[in-house]
Amino acid sequence: MTLPPRLAVLLQKKAIRISLAILGIALLAAIPQLNLKSYYMGVLCRILLYTILAGSLNVINGYSGQFNIGHAGFFGIGAYTSAILSLQLKMPFLLALPVSGLLAMCVGLIVALPTLRLKGIYLAIVTLGASEIIRLIALNWMSLTGGPNGLRGIPAPVLFGLKFSRSQQYYYIFLVLSLIFYFMTRRIIQSRIGRAWISIREDETAARSLGVETMRFKAMNFMYGAFWAGIAGGAFSPYFKFISSDMFSLDEGFNILSMVIIGGQGTLAGPIVGAVIVNFLTEFLRPISQYRLVVYAILIIVMMWLRPQGLVGVSKSVLAERKFGRGRRTHRR
Amino acid sequence: MDYYLSQAINGICQGSIYALMAIGYSVVVGVVGLVTFTHGEVIMLGAFAAFYTFQLVGNNLIIGVIASFLASAFIGVFVFKICYERFFNAPRHISLICTIGTSMLLRNLAQIIFGPNNKPLLEVVPNRFFGKGVVGLTLVQIIVIATVISLSFLLFLFFNRTRWGIMLRAVSQDKTAAAMMGINVRMTSLLGNSIGCGLGGVAGMLLAIYYQTLVATMGGSAGMKAFSSAVLGGLTNIPSAAAGGLCLGIVENLGITISSASFRDIFAFIFLLLVLIVKPEGFARKTGVRP
Repeated sequence: MTLPPRLAVLLQKKAIRISLAILGIALLAAIPQLNLKSYYMGVLCRILLYTILAGSLNVINGYSGQFNIGHAGFFGIGAYTSAILSLQLKMPFLLALPVSGLLAMCVGLIVALPTLRLKGIYLAIVTLGASEIIRLIALNWMSLTGGPNGLRGIPAPVLFGLKFSRSQQYYYIFLVLSLIFYFMTRRIIQSRIGRAWISIREDETAARSLGVETMRFKAMNFMYGAFWAGIAGGAFSPYFKFISSDMFSLDEGFNILSMVIIGGQGTLAGPIVGAVIVNFLTEFLRPISQYRLVVYAILIIVMMWLRPQGLVGVSKSVLAERKFGRGRRTHRR
Repeated sequence: MDYYLSQAINGICQGSIYALMAIGYSVVVGVVGLVTFTHGEVIMLGAFAAFYTFQLVGNNLIIGVIASFLASAFIGVFVFKICYERFFNAPRHISLICTIGTSMLLRNLAQIIFGPNNKPLLEVVPNRFFGKGVVGLTLVQIIVIATVISLSFLLFLFFNRTRWGIMLRAVSQDKTAAAMMGINVRMTSLLGNSIGCGLGGVAGMLLAIYYQTLVATMGGSAGMKAFSSAVLGGLTNIPSAAAGGLCLGIVENLGITISSASFRDIFAFIFLLLVLIVKPEGFARKTGVRP
């Protein structure tokens, strides 16, 4: 995308950028005051939730070039953790939320450790298996997770004396969380850690020979992504008030993955665009909902054929290269 | 003791099905040189092809084997056209994501076309038992093992005694050198991919006969098991992949003796993790390119 030069110069000024950001946030915060139907508020809430989920998957897939397709597993861990903590221990929401993130992060470390030396499909299969195992455990551990009945009656969070139970109110929780996620990730991507992740994505061997501790940074990257998936899960279960293991199936993981791939990998805006597009598609396709994943699958394939980095993905990178000349055999994965 | 022995026999039988899946997987990855995610769906579609063939022409096993092989080989051509043909020189993750998309597509289409519920497979093989006490083989198990062994033997003959087999091996070792020797690499890869997928389809039929049920979502765990077994051979070595399949079957069936049968997939996953921790490059001697 090219902006007119005067506009581009204007946008480079820090004060203008900050004021634009504040204006955007204020507009987002004003949406619930429009008295939209609760159906539309529900859609907006889901879009915000999925910006966190797709964004955290994008940190793993898009920034460090690892390949996680079982993101729903970490989402599920977060959801079950916060549900169990608030139901059985009556833990307040503000405490249960970080705990669910941290637990998902620990599981992320366990999953990532055996696969740090591996690439591509090895990591993909391990994450797929881990996600399925997490679902199986949730399905079979009757005493803790309620087994096939799921957990119901998860209490709505009470923050600062306010009860967040309807979509109109819960919108603010999702908005605050996704803003924290956005700005935190932005800081990290611009820091030394983020540059290390990107260097690993572009060429792991070169990164290592330049002194990047690839194992450590890959583990850190995976844990960061899993952490935010856990946070999203922790915020999801009090919103939905009911969770069961089939909400965190492989299809859910593919749903999140399709947002990242369609929206764009390796940019902060990509997953947001993907979350908006895919969630609107979900609503349009509601009358024929069994074709939903068929449509996403076709979109993924079309994306790979025409624009592998996604709609607003990062353009000058290994993610965007479609063909190499003969003989150049770097970037083998 | 008898119980464990009979579980080990079950394990060998199931392991031979996994071995066939893993052989198919290794053929695909070895010849095409790109990893695939669609193998589970190919296995599932082979099983469905056999199911409808049995309904159409009655319980004839040989026709079932041929039908599932051909159907899955045809799906293999489809997968090749979508996921591999354009991307031989592209970064590897592109074709990988493409296979993931194709696997989503095939699974969800299958769920729509064949319905989401379990289909009971007609009793293809009469229920008979040879042996004494609990230790012994059922007729189904004998047929499964015999099919797997004869198909592996046919594949061995094909790879070592025919011109096409030699071309396939050449392509799997080095595509550039094979092209210089005048081999049509594209067609040979297509053929190898179809053969691997066809073997997967037959494995799917055997799996459905063994469990006497099939469902459109069986592809996920089947694909994971094919992969777990093939990892033992570094994803390309066929004999090690077969051994991996046998090991996986035995580990699973001994594993469920100490817990419940619903944790079957967990043991397969633990097996995969152990192999990846101990020897991620597999136990085979390195020949050709690793994906």
